[in-house]
Amino acid sequence: MFRLYTRLISIRIRSQMQYPLSFLFDTLGSGFGTLSEFIALWAVFTRFGTVGGWTMPEVALLYGLAETSFATMDMVFSGYDPTFFSTQIQRGMFDQMLLRPLSLPVQIFGSEFIVRRLGRIGQGLAVLLLSFFLNPIQWTLVKIILVPIVIVSTIAFFGGLFIVGATICFWTVESLEAINIFTYGGTTMISYPMHIYGDWVRRFFTFVVPAALLTYYPALYFLGKPDPFGMPPVMPFLAPVAGFAVLATAFAFWQVGVRHYQSTGS
Amino acid sequence: MMYLAAARLAFQRQLAYRTANFAGLLTNIFFGALRAYVLIALFGAQNEVAGYSLQAAITYTGVTQALISYLTLFGWWDLMRTIRAGDVASDLSRPFDFFGYWLAQDVGRALGHLILRGLPIMILYALIYRIALPPAPIHWLAVTVSMTLALFISFCYRFMVNLAAFWTQDAVGIGRAAWMVSVFLSGFLMPIAFLPSWFSSALRWMPFAHMINTPVEIYLGIADGSALWLALGQQLFWCVALYALAQLTLAAGVKKLVIQGG
Repeated sequence: MFRLYTRLISIRIRSQMQYPLSFLFDTLGSGFGTLSEFIALWAVFTRFGTVGGWTMPEVALLYGLAETSFATMDMVFSGYDPTFFSTQIQRGMFDQMLLRPLSLPVQIFGSEFIVRRLGRIGQGLAVLLLSFFLNPIQWTLVKIILVPIVIVSTIAFFGGLFIVGATICFWTVESLEAINIFTYGGTTMISYPMHIYGDWVRRFFTFVVPAALLTYYPALYFLGKPDPFGMPPVMPFLAPVAGFAVLATAFAFWQVGVRHYQSTGS
Repeated sequence: MMYLAAARLAFQRQLAYRTANFAGLLTNIFFGALRAYVLIALFGAQNEVAGYSLQAAITYTGVTQALISYLTLFGWWDLMRTIRAGDVASDLSRPFDFFGYWLAQDVGRALGHLILRGLPIMILYALIYRIALPPAPIHWLAVTVSMTLALFISFCYRFMVNLAAFWTQDAVGIGRAAWMVSVFLSGFLMPIAFLPSWFSSALRWMPFAHMINTPVEIYLGIADGSALWLALGQQLFWCVALYALAQLTLAAGVKKLVIQGG
């Protein structure tokens, strides 16, 4: 099963290498797009000092965690990207998948793998490492173990959102653009400390769509900052619970969608 | 007359994409609100930074969000598609100016986007925040002129980027990189006045700032008096310069074009 997956992926990768100049520009560009937002923020920081009491290196920690995770998810879950998946349904490709004697997730994960995301992953990692270097973090064993856990959980979280977006296509055929608010918007949002947002935004993204649990509370813990909302001290460790709960719910929703799926007939 | 018809068709096409435009509108508003939150947090207790009051800074996020679709800031591929598909050959042999034909369509599209995307964003912003309005009638007039010039500058740039498809199969990658450059250098991400002064003065001498930053500063009344005239003059300069450059690129591209079969 895994060998089949790697074979499918290697086909995707080779096809993207057919236009090498385009690939190079795309990879550099995909990193630069979000990096430029960060550079713009950094450039104005000298004038302002802090954002909501956080210094630039502290915001860089949030930004690095969010970007690294989202971009990795964006590459691995390319097949579930709602925009891509909706065209698969429109072209009748999904019907073909249902007919093949192969596991559906292997086929969908193997149906697309956008390598140029490496550019964005690279810049996310660079910012993350820079923030480790610039912030006086008191490293403990727990903190060291928590870093990869936070990243994997955030990948699971956003992967779940992609799957929800893809599942909605079973009913709408067209991809619902509003899902971008949660995926791309969610990434941008958790790149800043949650307390700068209004109460309703913050509560929604803590309790309904638990984005705040993924990076904000772990970041408070890494930096040794007090929680401005006085939540229980367990909050920094809930990232995997939130991430994988979202992913599991998304897969359950996906099952319902597949059962209700009626082909477009194309 | 033909140009008017092309513009009208492009305008009507936008009106037909109602759901897509509505979904795009929601996304624009959400990101606008995020950017406003960040600026509010950056301002903190300060009342004024680099000539911007907090109210002006919030308005800036609204106006820039409203300009995204007007200028198709995040990408425009229509012309490139016709080059790749080969339709460009028949368009070039028709008895009208190729640049003018595409410009007319873009003006129609931009007007459609202004009504369906730009205006609702400003109205919603006015409901959520206390936004600033252009201080006097003369500024309203200046904003209109500046936005028209901004569209022309942006169109010339996008036209040239699309023409890359005449030379290379990899034009999509060049395009994506080109859109990022214009987003970064136009003052869309942060008001140019907030950047370190060496950087902001360098940006003012490039064409990109005159797509976004200039119309916004005129709207807010930050570019006033002689600064207003200088800004409009710079915009006019870039209109002429980029138009000439676009025509040269087009001429070179057409010379390069080889039509297969036929």
